[in-house]
Amino acid sequence: MSSTDTLYLAFLVTGFTVGFGHCIGMCGPIVISLSLNRKGRNLLIPHLLYNAGRIITYAILGGVAGMLGSFTILTSSILSLQKGVLIFAGALVLLMGLAMGGWIPFGRVFGDGDSSSSVFSKSLHRLSAARSPFFHLPLGLLLGLLPCGPVYTALIASARAGMAADSALQGFLFGTGLMLAFGIGTVPSLFLVGRLADFGWIKSRQRIYRITSVLMVVIGIYFIIQGIQY
Amino acid sequence: MYCARRFFIRVLLGLLVGICQGAIWSARAADPSPESLVNCSIQEKPCTKELAGISVTLDILPKPVMAMRDLKFQVTLSGEKKTAIPYIDLGMPGMNMGPNRVELRRIKDNVFEGQGVIVRCASGGRTWKATVSLPEVGKVEFVFDVIY
Repeated sequence: MSSTDTLYLAFLVTGFTVGFGHCIGMCGPIVISLSLNRKGRNLLIPHLLYNAGRIITYAILGGVAGMLGSFTILTSSILSLQKGVLIFAGALVLLMGLAMGGWIPFGRVFGDGDSSSSVFSKSLHRLSAARSPFFHLPLGLLLGLLPCGPVYTALIASARAGMAADSALQGFLFGTGLMLAFGIGTVPSLFLVGRLADFGWIKSRQRIYRITSVLMVVIGIYFIIQGIQY
Repeated sequence: MYCARRFFIRVLLGLLVGICQGAIWSARAADPSPESLVNCSIQEKPCTKELAGISVTLDILPKPVMAMRDLKFQVTLSGEKKTAIPYIDLGMPGMNMGPNRVELRRIKDNVFEGQGVIVRCASGGRTWKATVSLPEVGKVEFVFDVIY
């Protein structure tokens, strides 16, 4: 096994281990929101698409870090975008929590009889597309940009692999492969959380939805505050 | 029957809340906050620790030490004992952030330097740990706060 293969394997294992710690804390609320928003419908394809989107973004970032051979050049250029994505993720979790708890009239806000053409209404209307499984791929692509310590660590390794590469293309390929391995490693934990959040096995689901919706509102606000301070 | 079910659900929820609170309290008692583990004022001056008769000094430049910046890590050893080239592992106390190793190279007899980055945690935690490993001797931990 070459040193590059060893590095890929190391980051696959790293993704797996940080997945069951850090990722559940950061991305868990989003994954739970996506599961609960689908209330009993098929979860397999949406979660596969969400994770595929996330991994594609990681791979692109890894490729760029490897090509540049620098972590800080990459991260300083996407800092504002990451801040926006963190606020967006918070707003998404908050809105889904409010809607699930019945504190905002989901139907009306999302267009059932609301003829308002404001940007806010249109944006919310688009969010309702979360009920389509294919919404989850672009969502994963976007949320793959969430600022996250272990992702940064893997990107540092990608940049270092790029520095050691013979050409920019080789650096890009090393970085892409490393982040692909890391991303794939994080899938089992988030997939498991998404499946467990289905609550299909509980008879009194409404109570659970209400409790979870309160938690989602709190977590959404927390994400927004962190995003503003980031 | 309905009342019994409601009572059962309330008891179950109460138990769950109790278990969670107990777990949080015991975790707090067993695992002190990261801030309380700080043993190095890296923002002000280099930090020194003893390890098996070797004095290990860590400095990080430039100051202030900020996350998401290219940093220079310098380790100076003093004492009679000679060791192989040390290395530094960066992480957060109590949180797995993935492997982030700073490889050092010898620049003088007992002075080693390397480049690295302390990443930023979106949770807002600022306390970081640099574990300096001296091959065949042991490890020493420096816990300090960084600026975001």
